[in-house]
Amino acid sequence: MKKFLILLMAFIMLLSLSACSNGEQPTNPSEISNEKTELTMGYQTDPEGLDPQRTAAASTFVVTNNIYDTLIGVTQGWEITPRLAEKWDISEDGMEVTFKIREDVFFQNGRQLKSSDVEFSFNRLKDEESPKARDYANIKKIEIIDDYNIKFVTEKLDVELLKNFAYPWAAIVPEEEVANLKTKPVGTGAFELKEWVPQQHIILERNENYYGIKPKLETVKLELIPDATSLMAGLQVGDLDIIPLTGDQVKTLKDNTDYSILAQPMNAVQIMSLNTDNKILSNEKVRQAMSMAINKDEIIEASSFGYGDKIGSHLPTTSPDYYDTNDVMEYNPERAKELLKEAGYENGFDIKLTLPKNYQIHVDAGQVIADQLSKIGIRVNIELVEWGTWVSEVYSGKKFEMTVVGHTGRLDSYAFLSRYKSDSEDYISLKTGEVDELLNKALQELDGDKRKDIYKQIQIVLASKLPAIYVQTPYTMLGMQNNVKGMNIFPIDIYDFKDVYFE
Amino acid sequence: MLNYLINRIKGAVIVLFLVSIITFMVLMILPGDPAQLILGTEATPDMVKDLHVSMGLDKPYYMQYGSWLIDFLRFDMGESYLYGESVSLLILNCLPVTLSIALFSMIIATLVAFIFGVLSSVKKDSFIDYFSRSIMQLGTAIPSFWIGMVFVVFFGLRLKWFPISGYVPASENFIKFLKSITLPSVVLAIGEFGLLLRIVRSSMQESISQDYMEMARVKGLSLISIYFKYALRGAMVAPLTIIGMQFAKLVGGTTVVETVFALPGLGRLVLTAVEHRDIVLLQGLVMFITTFVILITLVVDILIMFINPRIKTFERGE
Amino acid sequence: MSKKKNSVYSNYSLLIGIILVLFILFICILSFIHIPYAPNEMNISERFIKPNSDREHLLGTDNFGRDILSRIMVGSRTVLLVSISSVIIGALIGITLGAISAQFKKVVGSSIMRIIDGLMAFPGILLALMLVTVVGRGIAGSIIAISIFMIPTFSRLVNSMMLDTESLLYIKAAKSYGSTNMQIFIKHFVPAMLPKLVTQFSSAVGTAVMIETSLSFLGLGIQPPNSSWGLMLSEARQFFLQYSYLAVAPGIAIIITVLGFNLIGDGLNDFLLKRRS
Repeated sequence: MKKFLILLMAFIMLLSLSACSNGEQPTNPSEISNEKTELTMGYQTDPEGLDPQRTAAASTFVVTNNIYDTLIGVTQGWEITPRLAEKWDISEDGMEVTFKIREDVFFQNGRQLKSSDVEFSFNRLKDEESPKARDYANIKKIEIIDDYNIKFVTEKLDVELLKNFAYPWAAIVPEEEVANLKTKPVGTGAFELKEWVPQQHIILERNENYYGIKPKLETVKLELIPDATSLMAGLQVGDLDIIPLTGDQVKTLKDNTDYSILAQPMNAVQIMSLNTDNKILSNEKVRQAMSMAINKDEIIEASSFGYGDKIGSHLPTTSPDYYDTNDVMEYNPERAKELLKEAGYENGFDIKLTLPKNYQIHVDAGQVIADQLSKIGIRVNIELVEWGTWVSEVYSGKKFEMTVVGHTGRLDSYAFLSRYKSDSEDYISLKTGEVDELLNKALQELDGDKRKDIYKQIQIVLASKLPAIYVQTPYTMLGMQNNVKGMNIFPIDIYDFKDVYFE
Repeated sequence: MLNYLINRIKGAVIVLFLVSIITFMVLMILPGDPAQLILGTEATPDMVKDLHVSMGLDKPYYMQYGSWLIDFLRFDMGESYLYGESVSLLILNCLPVTLSIALFSMIIATLVAFIFGVLSSVKKDSFIDYFSRSIMQLGTAIPSFWIGMVFVVFFGLRLKWFPISGYVPASENFIKFLKSITLPSVVLAIGEFGLLLRIVRSSMQESISQDYMEMARVKGLSLISIYFKYALRGAMVAPLTIIGMQFAKLVGGTTVVETVFALPGLGRLVLTAVEHRDIVLLQGLVMFITTFVILITLVVDILIMFINPRIKTFERGE
Repeated sequence: MSKKKNSVYSNYSLLIGIILVLFILFICILSFIHIPYAPNEMNISERFIKPNSDREHLLGTDNFGRDILSRIMVGSRTVLLVSISSVIIGALIGITLGAISAQFKKVVGSSIMRIIDGLMAFPGILLALMLVTVVGRGIAGSIIAISIFMIPTFSRLVNSMMLDTESLLYIKAAKSYGSTNMQIFIKHFVPAMLPKLVTQFSSAVGTAVMIETSLSFLGLGIQPPNSSWGLMLSEARQFFLQYSYLAVAPGIAIIITVLGFNLIGDGLNDFLLKRRS
C-alpha cells in the first residue's frame, strides 16, 4: 500500500512537472485587442474529408465552401452572383455558357488560377470517383478560349445549367494538390485550413491573399460536439459563438436578449417515401387514405416545435417554383377511413416504417406518423437503422416499405423532381408515368413563366398521386451570441464566414 | 515463467487473428457499403460499381482481407476511407483522450474502493462500513449518461467549475487538461468503483477469515501489519483481476461518456468508423484496442502470479 | 466481532432490497391490471406537462404528450424480462465455460479462456452492433446481446476462483479419496464459490439493466414506440436542459431496480459468508 502511494505521488509529481514545462503559455498583452476576431462555432458531424469533389456529405461542403471558390455563387434570395467569374454569357440557344474569370486570383499555394484549372476541376467532377458526375454528364465539351475565358458546351438543352456552377462541389481545385485534398485542402477562398483534428476541431485562418474583400474574422474554429444538449450548454456558458439549434431550443432562447436566432425555412423537403412496388402501397387509394390520416401540423409541432412549413408536394416552400398544394389531400381522418374501406383494407394492415436514426427530426416525425396511422387501423412497425444501412438497404436496395427522410439543397426544381420519372430507377418514382412528359418539357422550356407553370402541374399531379407523402419544409436554425453579426443562411448547404464579424 | 510468457503471447496472436477476422466479418454482415456512402443519395448503380473498382472493393472478400493482413504485418494500417488520413495517425490523435479518462477514472475508482473497502472490512459494522456500502450500492445503480448530463448541467452550466465539453491536450495546458477530463472520469469512476469496492471488501473479509490470519493473530503480530501485509495481499487477486478487466473495458468502452462530454476519443472513433463502414479504420481500431486489452490482461495475470504463489506453481507445473 | 451487529446491516440491506424489488414487481404486475393511459398514445397538444401540475398525469407527459407513468409501468415489464433472463442465460454459459476451462486446463481450457479474452477485448459497441444485426433489434435481440456480455465476467470469476481453491488442502484430500471431478465440483467448489457468485449474479442484473440502457441510448435496443426505461432516458436527453423532469422518473426507476437487486445480493452474500464460517 505504501509503495503504491509513493508510486502514485511520483506519478502525480511527474505529471505536474511536465505541466510546468509545457503548460505555460506566454500571454502577450499587445495581442489583446478589443475587437474579437476569433469565432468558435459548434458543429455536429465531422466532414468526410475536405475534398468537395469526392463526397456527397453536406458536413464537408459547409467547411469547404470557405476554403474553395466556385465560378458563381448564390445569394440568400436565390440570385446568382459573381464569384471567381466576373461575368458570363449564355448563348441564345441555351447550349453554351462562357465565363470570364478574374485575373487576380491565387491559390493558397501561391499559384495563379487560370482557365486550365477550371477545365481540370470540371473534368475531375465528371470522372467516376465523383459523386456528382451525373449532374455534369450533359457537359460534352470544355473549351479554353484563353487564360481567363472558358466555354462549356452541353449536349442537350438544359435550362437550369448555370445553377450547376454554384454548388459547393463545383469548386475550382489546383491540379498539383489533388492527391491530398482530403486532408490538405488548397483553394482560393477567403479562409485556409490551419488544422483539422478529426473528431475534435477544424481551424480556419484568414487567407491574406484573398482576391475579394478580406474577412473581418482572423480565425474560425469549428468545435465538433455531436450532442445537441452539450452544444446548447456551450452557447449558454459562452464557449461557443454559433451553434445549430433544435426547435425546442429556439423556443427557450427566443426571448433571451443575450442571444440572437436565425430561423428560416430550408431549401429542403421532409417526405415519407412509399415503396409502390409493395402490393398494399401500390394502391393509390391506400396512399391517399394515409395522407389524409396524417396531421402535418401536429408532426411539425412534435418534431420541430412548430418550426416547419407543411407541404403538399415535393418542392420546398422556399423554392421560386413552389405551388401550394396543401388543400389537395387535406387532413380528414373520416374520409381516410372510407378510402381505406374502398381499397379493401377495412381492418387495416401491418406495415414497416424504416427511420434513419441519426436524424432526430425524421425519427420524431416517423413516430408521430405511426401513431396517427394507428388511428385509422394501420399498424406501423418502426425500425431505426443507421444511415449506412439506410443508404444501402432503402435507397439503393429499395428494400423498404415506408421511410421518412429529407431531400435537400438543390437550386433547380428539375433536380428535386426528376426522381419521379417512371424510368429514373430511384427509390421513389411515379411508375405510372404521369409526370414523365412534363419533366422533359420543363428542361427544354426557355421561358421562365411557362416553366414555372409546368412545375406547378407536376406538383399538382404528385400531390394527388402520392408516390410519397409530403410532410414539411424544415427550418435551418442557428443560435448566436448577440454580438455575432453577418451570418446568413443560404439555399444550398453551406456556411459562409466571410461576412461574419463581432459587434 | 518464460514458457508461460511464450504461451500467453502465442495465445494473444491467435486472439488477434480471430478478432481481425471477426471484425472483417462484422462489416460483411452489416448492411451498408462505403462506396455507396461516399456517393450518397444521388448516385447511380454504375457509379457505385466504378467506385468499388477504384477502392478495391470489387475483389473477393478473402483477397481484401489478405491484402489488409499483409499490410498490417508490415505495420501499415492503411488510410481511412472517410478522412483520407492514415489510420495510425487517427488512433494516435484519439488515444490520449480515452487513455486519460480511463486511467484517471481507474485511479479514482481504485483509491475510493481500496480506502473504503479496507476500512469497511476492518471496521466492520461501523458507520464507515454502512456508509461505504451505501455509496457503493448507489454508485453502481446510477446510469452513466444520466449522471453525466446532471454533471454537465450542475457543475458545467450552473457552477461553471468545469468545461462542458471538449478536450484540451495535457501538452497545451495542464490545468485545463485536468479540468476537461475530470467530469467524464468521475462519471466513469462512479460506474466502476462499486463493483471494485464490493470485491475488495469481500476478498478482505474472506482473507481475514482464513486460517493463516488466525495464525498471525495467535503469533501476536500487530493489527496493521496483519491487515496490510497479509490480509490485503491475500485479498488482492480478485480486485486486481477486476481492475484489469475494468480498465481494459474502459479503453474500448467509453463511447457513451465520450458522446455526452463531446470528447474526441477512441470510442467515438469506433462509432464513426462503423457508421461510415470505414473498414480500414475499424480494423485498425479493433486491432489496436484488442492488443491493448490483451496486454493489460497479461500484465494483470503476471502481477497475480507474483502476489499469489499458488497460481504460479500451477502455471509452472503445466 | 459481534454476530448480532453484523446481521443488522445484512438484514437491513436484504430488507430494503426486497422492498425495492417488490415495489418494481408490484408496478410490473399492476401494469397488467390497470394503466392510466395507453402507453404509446400520443397527444401533441398535451405535451411537456410537468409532473402533477394537473391532476391527470402524475409524472407528467413526454415530448409526444404520452403519459410518463404509464410508460414507466409498461417499461418495467421489458426491463425485468430483458435483464433477468439475459443474466440467467449468460451466467449459465459463463459458469459452465469457466468450470470447464479450469478442469481441463491444457487445450480446451486455455482455448476457451483465449476466446473469452478475445470477446472481452472486442469493443462492446461493435459486438452489440454485430449481435443486434444478426439476431434483430427488440427484446429478443437485447436479451441475446446482453447475455453474451455477461459470459466473460462469470467465466473468468469461476475460473480464477477454481484455480484459487484447487490447491487448497481439502480439495486435494477429496481427490486422493477418489472423488470424481463432478462430485468435487458440486460438493466443494460450488459451496466455496457460491457467495461470490450470488453477489456477482445480483450485481449482474443491475449491470444488465445498465447495458439495456446503453443499447437503447445507441438505438440498438428496444425500438420505439415501445417503452423501456433506457429508451425513455435517451429520448429525454435531447430535452434535458429545458425539461429535465423527463429524465427523473426513468432514472429513478432504473436506480431503484438496480439498487434493489444489488442490496439483495449484498445481504445474501453476508448471510452466506457468515453461515459458511
